[in-house]
Amino acid sequence: MATKKLRRAKLSQELCERLSRYQITTCQDFLCLSLLELMKVTGESYRNVQKLLRKVSLACAPKMQTAYEMKVRRSINPSAAFLPTSLHSLDKVLHGGIPCGSLTELTSPPGCGKTQFCITMSVLATLPVSMGGLDGAVIYIDTESAFSAERLIEIAGNRFPTYFDSDEKLFCMTRSIHLYRELTCDSVLKRIKSLEEEIISKKIKLIIIDSVASVVRKEFDTKLQGNLAERSNFLARGASLLKYVAEEFSIPVILTNQITTSLSNGLAIPADLVSPAHDLSLSEGASGSGKKESACVTAALGNTWSHSVNTRLILQYHDLLTRQIVIAKSPVAPFSTFFYTVEKSGLVLQDGKNLSNLPWEGTNPALQTIQVRNTALGNALLKTTDETPGDTPSP
Amino acid sequence: MQRDVGSLPLSPALRARLLAAGFQTAQELLETGPCGLSKEIGISREEALEALQVVRQECAGDAAKTAGGSGSTRKCTALELLEEEQTQGFIITFCSALDNILGGGVQLTKITEICGAPGVGKTQLCMQLAVDVQIPECFGGVAGEAVFIDTEGSFMVDRAADIATACVRHCQLIAEAHQEEDHLQALETFSLESILSHIYYFRCRDYIELLAQVYLLPDFLSEHSKVRLVVIDGIAFPFRHDFEDLSLRTRLLNGLAQQLIIIANDHKSAVVLTNQMTTRFGQNQSMLVPALGESWGHAATVRLIFHWDNTQRLATLYKSPSQKESTIPYNITLLEGSQEYQDVSRLTSKFTGNLCPFLLVPVLHSFCPSC
Repeated sequence: MATKKLRRAKLSQELCERLSRYQITTCQDFLCLSLLELMKVTGESYRNVQKLLRKVSLACAPKMQTAYEMKVRRSINPSAAFLPTSLHSLDKVLHGGIPCGSLTELTSPPGCGKTQFCITMSVLATLPVSMGGLDGAVIYIDTESAFSAERLIEIAGNRFPTYFDSDEKLFCMTRSIHLYRELTCDSVLKRIKSLEEEIISKKIKLIIIDSVASVVRKEFDTKLQGNLAERSNFLARGASLLKYVAEEFSIPVILTNQITTSLSNGLAIPADLVSPAHDLSLSEGASGSGKKESACVTAALGNTWSHSVNTRLILQYHDLLTRQIVIAKSPVAPFSTFFYTVEKSGLVLQDGKNLSNLPWEGTNPALQTIQVRNTALGNALLKTTDETPGDTPSP
Repeated sequence: MQRDVGSLPLSPALRARLLAAGFQTAQELLETGPCGLSKEIGISREEALEALQVVRQECAGDAAKTAGGSGSTRKCTALELLEEEQTQGFIITFCSALDNILGGGVQLTKITEICGAPGVGKTQLCMQLAVDVQIPECFGGVAGEAVFIDTEGSFMVDRAADIATACVRHCQLIAEAHQEEDHLQALETFSLESILSHIYYFRCRDYIELLAQVYLLPDFLSEHSKVRLVVIDGIAFPFRHDFEDLSLRTRLLNGLAQQLIIIANDHKSAVVLTNQMTTRFGQNQSMLVPALGESWGHAATVRLIFHWDNTQRLATLYKSPSQKESTIPYNITLLEGSQEYQDVSRLTSKFTGNLCPFLLVPVLHSFCPSC
């Protein structure tokens, strides 16, 4: 919109020629000037310049719609507003599932189930509408080379055995998932820019980027000067492009993120959990001055990124076998948690678990504490003195 | 009439020619007439006529201003202003603690800025205000319409519909309790459809669309004269990336702020902006501050900061010309009474004790039984 040339804004030919002599060719150039500057370059009177401004603004401004029209459009096509995750309790709280037309972020420590969740969502998107899917293709941008096609088939076969009863149906499903391996920030951004054309040509109904954090953290070291601003710039640009695509075509976009340790005095250190022992030593090492600083593990990529995503789901460890999925930020759902395990058919919710013993409540989604594996193990070991883990009280 | 030629809003080339020919006051121009002017300066008769019409309009405007009669003057005594302020309504937020610290609610003709961390409830409050501005006068509202300019894409129609339904139900309860004629009459036109039809939604994808929309806003407001609220959800988002030239950004933001002040004053509407928080790194600590820099802090008349204190959301009145700085706790609750959400709402609304629920479980003044 900003790069729209002035001749398309219905300005007269001679005026456009005159303005191009001052290097003013797009609407952006025109609207960024003050009224006096405009009078000078167009040679028109104050009143005429205001009329011209109005004309150019009309060419750029968005169309008006009332909230009622939006609601009516939604109710005509209710299934097109959400992609159900097939985790029923989660879908109920989320008003239907992953919302279409906005960005959903999935954050978790490594090994919790992000990629499993993404693979499951890919299968769901290819299912026909009658089964809760979107009957379309999927674009999967993989930056960590973690996508496994065999696991995809295993999940599909075990989750929907009646539907995927023949090899042909499985192959048809796998043909609709388009996998792109991008390993640098630039290539990810280029791929995002090319999404618009691919969506139209391949009838895409879901975009997954697994994961945003890995490329960004490889290339931007926030301790170096200037890198933090560049990183925020890159993320903001990527987020606005993705939002444009998501809204224009009304499709869901799922992004995955990593975790970081944020100390109470504010500086964040990337938590690269190569070994479980590393995690503890990071926080201890930093507080070498002897002061009691509480370090907590939270979602990476900073505050600005937390503003850009519309929904944030956190996966974390609970004890030896079970994990938790937490709705940390959502415009339609309150803070809630659900227990799940990862099995052959993907993620399975443990509905029977008692949800009342929550050790924490919702807080700032950018600073929400996430439980990592050894903390969960530590808690589990502590609990064995009082009760055996895995004992579900009968409902 | 004695106005200097150099100060007239003519095109620069024409002005230069007039000054070179020796004209000094507007009176001289008007006396010469279009034919004489065109011969003397060497412009066509039509151009001369156009210039004279501009001069005449300007002088008429000046005369009206000095006589103190025209409606576009912004001059009045403090007593007139006091009377105006006292009769003016506020847009209530349905959280009485928040209304109290604001001095009654969101004020008309002023710019209110809401800053906050992600997920704290800024968009929720904006949607709530877009519904509350439409409450009929007999229930204590301003009976206006709302313009919602969205730059982040976080407006959810379903949530706005939920909020509107709760608001209608609350007004119905009041009408039943009081059984007055005008209450029941107002309720006939105050329904979910009418509320949603009077929220005018614009989705601006970048700062150029936002600038263009704000230029067009005065015309839109003249056509829809009942609008009493303009919400810009996310003034920071389009200005925070893609800007290498920070001085251009400051200039554009200042221009935007000025236009919004003019819109707020001329159309007697409230302007509500939401801002993001950004991390500022100090010596060895970092803190969250409102985005867009220090100079943007001057743009808004009233500034509210929403933040977290562990698990409790707090609202702080940070800047106000008439109210004291204070902090109150608040919550965001779900639709009360809706069968679907009953289980979840029991789990999450632990805090409904003596704190005022923020949305949808309206604790309005003395009408709510539970408060």
